[in-house]
Amino acid sequence: MSDRLIEVEDLTIAYPMADGEVFRAIDNFSMSVNRGQIVGVVGESGAGKSTIGKATLGLLDENAVIDTGGVSLDKVMVTQLEEHAFTDIRGNKIGYIYQNPMTALNPVLTIGEQMIEAIEANTDKRGAAARAYAIHLLEQAEVPQAEDRLSKYPHQLSGGLCQRIVFAIAISAKPDLIIADEPTTALDVTVQKAVLDTLVKLTRQENIAIILITHDMGVVAEMCDYVYVLRHGKLVEEGPTAQVLKHPTQPYSRELMAAIPRIDQKVERFAVPGGLGQAEDRQRAIQYLMSRKAEAGEAGAPLLSVRNLSKTFTTKATALKAASAFKAVSDVSFDVMPGETLGIVGESGSGKSTVGRMILGLHTPDPGYEIRYRGRDVNELTSRAEKLAHRQSLQCIFQDPYSSLNPRMTAGDNITYALRAHGTIDRGEARQLAGDLMELVGLPRASARKMPHAFSGGERQRIGIARALSFRPDFIFCDEPTSALDVTVQAELLNLMKDLQDQLGLTLLFVSHDLAVVRQMCDRVMVMKSGEVVEAGACDKVLVAPDHPYTQGLLDAMPRFRPEDAA
Amino acid sequence: MPADATTTDVDSALKAEAQEPSFAQKFWKVFRGHPAALAGLIGIIVFVLLAIFAPVIAPQDPYDQTQLDILDGLLPPGSQLWDGTPSVLGTDALGRDILSAVLYGLRISLFVALVAVIVGSAIGVFMGLLAAMKGGWVETVIMRTVDLKMSFPGILLALMVLAVFGTGIDKVIIALIIGAWASEARLVRAVALSELKKEYIDAARLAGLSDWRIMGRFLFPNSISPVLVVLPMSISGAIGAEATLSFLGVGVPITEPSLGLLIANGNDYILSGKWWISLFPGLVLVGLVLCINVVADRLRDHANPYLRGKD
Amino acid sequence: MLNFVARRLGQSAVLVLIMSALVFVGMYVVSDPVAVLAGEDFTEEDRVALAQELGVDRPLILQYAAFLGNVVRGDFGTSFVYNRPVLELILERLPATLEVAFFAMFIGLVVGIPLGVYSGLNQKKPATKVISFSTTVGYSIPNFWQGVLLIMLFSVWLQVLPASGRGDTTQIFGVGWSIFSLDGLSHLMLPALNLAIYTICLQARLARSGTQEVMYQDYMTFARAKGISRERIVRRHLVRNILIPIVTITGLQLGGLIAFATVTETVFSWPGIGKLLLDSIHNSDRPVVVAYLILITLMFVTINFVVDVLYALLDPRIRYT
Repeated sequence: MSDRLIEVEDLTIAYPMADGEVFRAIDNFSMSVNRGQIVGVVGESGAGKSTIGKATLGLLDENAVIDTGGVSLDKVMVTQLEEHAFTDIRGNKIGYIYQNPMTALNPVLTIGEQMIEAIEANTDKRGAAARAYAIHLLEQAEVPQAEDRLSKYPHQLSGGLCQRIVFAIAISAKPDLIIADEPTTALDVTVQKAVLDTLVKLTRQENIAIILITHDMGVVAEMCDYVYVLRHGKLVEEGPTAQVLKHPTQPYSRELMAAIPRIDQKVERFAVPGGLGQAEDRQRAIQYLMSRKAEAGEAGAPLLSVRNLSKTFTTKATALKAASAFKAVSDVSFDVMPGETLGIVGESGSGKSTVGRMILGLHTPDPGYEIRYRGRDVNELTSRAEKLAHRQSLQCIFQDPYSSLNPRMTAGDNITYALRAHGTIDRGEARQLAGDLMELVGLPRASARKMPHAFSGGERQRIGIARALSFRPDFIFCDEPTSALDVTVQAELLNLMKDLQDQLGLTLLFVSHDLAVVRQMCDRVMVMKSGEVVEAGACDKVLVAPDHPYTQGLLDAMPRFRPEDAA
Repeated sequence: MPADATTTDVDSALKAEAQEPSFAQKFWKVFRGHPAALAGLIGIIVFVLLAIFAPVIAPQDPYDQTQLDILDGLLPPGSQLWDGTPSVLGTDALGRDILSAVLYGLRISLFVALVAVIVGSAIGVFMGLLAAMKGGWVETVIMRTVDLKMSFPGILLALMVLAVFGTGIDKVIIALIIGAWASEARLVRAVALSELKKEYIDAARLAGLSDWRIMGRFLFPNSISPVLVVLPMSISGAIGAEATLSFLGVGVPITEPSLGLLIANGNDYILSGKWWISLFPGLVLVGLVLCINVVADRLRDHANPYLRGKD
Repeated sequence: MLNFVARRLGQSAVLVLIMSALVFVGMYVVSDPVAVLAGEDFTEEDRVALAQELGVDRPLILQYAAFLGNVVRGDFGTSFVYNRPVLELILERLPATLEVAFFAMFIGLVVGIPLGVYSGLNQKKPATKVISFSTTVGYSIPNFWQGVLLIMLFSVWLQVLPASGRGDTTQIFGVGWSIFSLDGLSHLMLPALNLAIYTICLQARLARSGTQEVMYQDYMTFARAKGISRERIVRRHLVRNILIPIVTITGLQLGGLIAFATVTETVFSWPGIGKLLLDSIHNSDRPVVVAYLILITLMFVTINFVVDVLYALLDPRIRYT
């Protein structure tokens, strides 16, 4: 076939490990890309998808070894080239778009310097011509005030703009192929959509092919012609996008599709396998958790009632910076009924997490607010015991599984250390409780003795849930609990949280940037923008037929995963 | 926030395979394939043993004036003292056997440096944790004191302290402690501040734990590793600093000479060709410091995430 | 920027004030100058008279105020030993110290940074192993013993370079410089080398670790992916980034060199302020010690200020307000 551009054949890339073992990042993988085609390479973390892009450009880590096969570009085997031969390919024939635009651009060089050096390296334009071309490229990439941007430094621009600049650099020599490695993962959803549209427009104009490396099935569904599904470095399934999304033939692909939360329909549980712990231990844990001293408030009264919550962050003047004030949250009021799940959605910087942190007492709100919990103003709690009981009754499931556990304590101690420190339980009870709670969240009780680093991200989140539950809380603030996790792990965790809520009658405040996840988890939702609530109401209403244009914008920008609609 | 964009495929795969290694395994991992570092480690052990058993090994007690004979003065290496004791490394002007003096000097040098660094680092770690944890005026006072100290080279500060308080082993230790704590405090505070932003600290607060408990069980164990990594470097620095002060004549007293003072004593005889008096204490000093620094370099490289697994 | 300058100047003034108070209290109060100066045969009346003459019979705060007042007028007192104004003594010797310190710094930067960048870029080459081991050895040898070895090697055995003194000096702007005459330069070589070896090692290590760190940044990979040449990546992307930490350390280092000049000047009998300080400590010549420490503090404050400004010029992410 004459329009075959890239051919990956039986590629195996191995990394020697410290213990003498070999880790195969890519294992016997083959794929091909035609001119002008947009091909998706999808997989969860550890799938080895970035390695393919790096191998094509000769950017593998020094210790990586290509065991078998190779990558050919226009029938030239590039994986056998010397470093200096790659300068003809990089930028010239293949453009590269990096995961995080903020770190891909050199912080101490201006945008102009970084664009013009690429233009001069890969085209015959020099000096003023190169500069004029740079401006032209920025305009094509829909960067407003293109000329002014040349003298700016990366940190002065937003992530979306930086990514457009990276696009402009990537297409500067009109390459045959662009490798885009998670090009929108670091961006907010509204920016993501526009940036991807620009990328498609630019490449379609010049008939440039794209290898799109991503974990996001929604993006694949909207952009790609053909898709390869990877897992642990191996090809699981390939085919035209519509076919793979609609009728996945392999168990893993099916699980992957089932795990994707959908904005347009709510499911009771995700159809992913989830191990339950030992029944007896779980039962004991549930008994413990149900024995909390539930001072049931008046029937029909909210568990938590928040009025006029605002937060201004001020930074003090230092030698390097002047004082500044930033209003993260302004005048937010809401109620949470016992046993319900209230969602807060918004983009980064919308103040959604700050609201939760103020309720937990981790931030002090600006004066003039009122937080009532079980009908009592939290500022009226006076005695030490009351304050401690209040504090422990509100818990949190954190965002980052890699920082939410104390790395120097075993999983079990992470769960029960505080209860022991307060003298609530003794050593034996602590061991029993830690084991029971581990089983409850689906981990073997014996693993309570392991240190956090021995667990995967999803497992750590489970330990975090067990820790929160150990205090027998009524209210749990879930601060983007699954945003750092792979989609199948997310589905398992969301299933667990739904189960726990059903059994224990917990009240949840669920913060997320992902509207589809909120749709699955929440009864009601508040939409926040720049510290203010722009819209609130039942999920079925707000996330289906929103009133506010901002919410509509968010919904429109979301990459839709609707296999049944795929062409 | 979007998904964890920084973790690459390979990283997370490696992470998942991580298992808790034993201390010996970790230790071996640091030194395996690094013969220079291993040699440094063995060197340190030898020097420490020599210092500990100096009274047993040394042919002479250099502090005992009655054992010295001025007639033995300035003998070259390989001579015999009048009482028949072989003097492998020669003698100084007072008739003191250089080998014995070096062994005892090693003892003093190591003792002074270890005490100063351990006490200084402990103070520094505590101050750094306190500053990070408490913030406010506590932090301001501690950190401004650190700035004040850091704006001044350690050797000058030590000179000043010794000029005020006079000389002596205890004074030298005090001077070195004053020189040592501030950089540790700054280091620990920086690490502790980044740890404080992590979610496990929030979790500890939600559990209603006191600041002291959070500091002791959460912050301390997670902030201490960079200090441990620089500890050998601090020790070799303190050995050098003590030697320098003694060389300048403001350090340890002449009755209990450290390696630095021995070098200084020999310095006057260099131009007259009596090179051994200064050279041997100098070689031992450099050997000791070099061994520590080689090990320190290895520890630091090992702790550096940019180098891990690349060498 | 103006705001920043004003604030920094204020902070610096406070720093100098605190330092002067500490030094003053340390030198004049903790140890009693009367006890030092009084002869064996002094009677009680003589001591009281001496105390009055020195002004140490007054309350501490008044003494300090009087001292500060004098300092502001440029009067740091009179040396007990030389019986001359202290400021004059120090200013007379300062050029010798600055000459050797700056010369050493120059050698250190010119040799150290390229060595460091080279070894950071070529981690597996044998030359890198040699460089990294040599730098470890280099900074493991205490400064003073290095000086002793240099004298043994170049003055005693090879007899090519003189071991002490400044040699011929050339008068420029009323100040004597060694560097402009062959004899002077030969005298300058050993002390400067003595100070430079440590600087070379430090700068090489800094540049190496900086290079290793920058090399694995995303923007370096992206620069390669853009297809620009390796030489250009090193020259533009790498060096600009590693210069930032180097400038900071160089500033601190310069202070360190001036401080360590005390050792070098003692070893090589180099007539700078460091040697003056040590002699004064040995002779209990308090006014000189106090004046030296205050002037040195002023000098460091100035260096730190210049470093901060350079820092802002090099790193566009920092803008002082």
